Amino acid sequence: MKTLRKTAISALLAASTMLTALPASAETLTFVSWMKDEPGYGDWWNEIIAEFEATHEGVDINMSRVSRDEYANTMFTMFAGGNPPDIVHLAAFEFQPFANEGWMEPLGPWIEKAGMDMTDWAGQSTCEWDGETVCVMLLYTGFVLAYNEKLFEEAGLDIPTDWESYLDAARKLKKDTDGDGINDQLGIALPFVGDASVMQEALNYVLDAGGSWTLDGEPAFDRPEVIEGLRRWKQLFDEGLTPKELTSADVRQFLLEGRLGMTVDGGWINNTFRSAAPEVQQHLKIAKSPFTPPLGGTSNVLGMPSDISDEKKQLVWDFIELTASQKYQQRFAEWGKTPAPRPGLDYTQLKADNPSFEVLAAAAADAAAANVDRLPKGLELENNEVVKIFFNVAQQMMIKDLSPEEAAKILQEEVTRIKG
Amino acid sequence: MSDTSTQRQGRSLAGLIPSIDFSAPRHRAKFGYLLLAPAVLLMAGIIVYPILLSVNISLQDVRIARVGATGEPWTLKNYAWLFGSSEFWHAIWVTFKLVAVVGGLSVVIGFATAMLVNQKFRGRTAVRLFVALPWAVPEVVATVIWAWMLDSSFGVVNWSLLKLGFVAEPIQFASNPGAAFAAVCFVMIWKGYPLMSIMLLAGLQSIPEEQIQAAKVDGAGPWQRFFYITMPNMLPVVGVTLVMTTLWVFRDFAIIHVLTQGGPIGATTTLSILTFEQSFEFFRMGQGATVGVITMIFCAIISRALVGRMAKSVH
Repeated sequence: MKTLRKTAISALLAASTMLTALPASAETLTFVSWMKDEPGYGDWWNEIIAEFEATHEGVDINMSRVSRDEYANTMFTMFAGGNPPDIVHLAAFEFQPFANEGWMEPLGPWIEKAGMDMTDWAGQSTCEWDGETVCVMLLYTGFVLAYNEKLFEEAGLDIPTDWESYLDAARKLKKDTDGDGINDQLGIALPFVGDASVMQEALNYVLDAGGSWTLDGEPAFDRPEVIEGLRRWKQLFDEGLTPKELTSADVRQFLLEGRLGMTVDGGWINNTFRSAAPEVQQHLKIAKSPFTPPLGGTSNVLGMPSDISDEKKQLVWDFIELTASQKYQQRFAEWGKTPAPRPGLDYTQLKADNPSFEVLAAAAADAAAANVDRLPKGLELENNEVVKIFFNVAQQMMIKDLSPEEAAKILQEEVTRIKG
Repeated sequence: MSDTSTQRQGRSLAGLIPSIDFSAPRHRAKFGYLLLAPAVLLMAGIIVYPILLSVNISLQDVRIARVGATGEPWTLKNYAWLFGSSEFWHAIWVTFKLVAVVGGLSVVIGFATAMLVNQKFRGRTAVRLFVALPWAVPEVVATVIWAWMLDSSFGVVNWSLLKLGFVAEPIQFASNPGAAFAAVCFVMIWKGYPLMSIMLLAGLQSIPEEQIQAAKVDGAGPWQRFFYITMPNMLPVVGVTLVMTTLWVFRDFAIIHVLTQGGPIGATTTLSILTFEQSFEFFRMGQGATVGVITMIFCAIISRALVGRMAKSVH
């Protein structure tokens, strides 16, 4: 009994000594992201976290993953419950409601204090909310045509460069390869599940027809150019060129399995090629989008909550500054195989190693020059509702054969109503 | 040493409530309330507080409410929006359709399977297990599996229907309103009927054997025994199971969200989906809370009506 008591006291003493030996300033920054463990971007985050922890003794970053589908809900719950993550990572189309509530720290003074030059930082203007800079843009991408060279060669087709050649290739590439009556090779595949993907896909055709969702911040769904874009998009479904129940992930999977001729997607598609089997991967190529101007847009942003302690704010800013540094912007381009938003980076080696990189850089530049963004300007706060309205109308176009003119009229009325 | 401390503790407790003798008959109820108090307080914290919070948010013109923050002034704007919104009335219509179809068919299938497994036959234990199996599978897991099976392009359901010649082309479960509603009903019934079956089986086993024997002696046939012995005895159980199913269908979110997200064109948008949509997709928490409060009132009325009617009917 006496020995047991002595052992217990010794153990307690040892434990208390160990605890006092820990750094007094031990701090953990919470960081939630959908990119954790993602090939490429996930590796980039890991590198930054490792360097940050090495240069900030006693500070750990606890990164956890939340799937993209649940991301906005999770962040919303965390903020509303008064427990936001210290490092705020959001999609560029979803940070506005958080900023509108005053939950995101204005970064202007931090940027100024650090002497960071944000001139020509791609997509950074999207981070302006109510006259304040509330985030740093992490990616602005231009959309490109990802295609299977082998399927095009077998069909004797050139890579499409406009709407007509795109439609022609879509028709000619679709076929039943094994004679079971089911088309197992597709020319194109468009997402029709996931409301945001559907609206984004339709924007390709609207932009090519000379339209846009808004004009000077006001809804412009009933303009003739938008109607023409909707007509083209509907035609692809009406002709049965694409199945109706695909997600954007399904579309990419078709491409990676070698069963899809082409798809127009963001720069990240280049990064997904590594998931394809070698016999397919060798045929997957990137070309300029057949649509002019190409669809482009801001992708994701980094910021900090406004109600954390000043000490934590300093640490979070150090982290943001590290991600925006020349070194890690360069690494971003290397890991993600897409141009980084920071201007003045050297892509010579990347272009030499990966011919697609030049196409991606040109696409981002073209989209930025045309001031294109997936997020409709002027409807940022209502974006999710607009997307839902669009999705409902799009479904009516397919299910009830609603004409593009009728669809445009409903869209204009509904979006104008919610905008107030 | 420890005995002394226990005695001291006992004295101090008695000292706190010196004048009440809980062993006296007139104080026994108070002792019961005292024992229940911690649980009641806990329940109040877990159940009543969120309800009050929802009501409070529903009365504020707020996009995103934050717990602990100063609220906006109370207004009936959200309720005005709700009753003038076609989406709300459509969601009520869809919810009641779903309750009628899922509740009705679950009772019929649940009763039938309960009567089946109440019979004595070889392999009864295995059949009982088989009947209860869907209930044991976690809802989200089961729904994701069904979503794969019902996929119009790659799903085994469409593949089987095509191979058997029942359909000429794949059924578009996600983009055909009727098919989507049927798919949601099917999965909900599949998931919900086992609980009904288990509860009804317990009810069947509690029917006194003497009543059935007496009816047999009096010459009552199987149908007469069912309508005059089984059904009256079973009505309170049916009532409770109906209430549980109704409430489950009213508030169920996972099955619809995973299968159809409320679509296509609102064909499966129930009140719970509308609540989620307003609160978490459109960031209009005031409006979302309003839908939630109205749903709660509906549930309370339906529960009261069903329990009262069924409980009385047996007598």
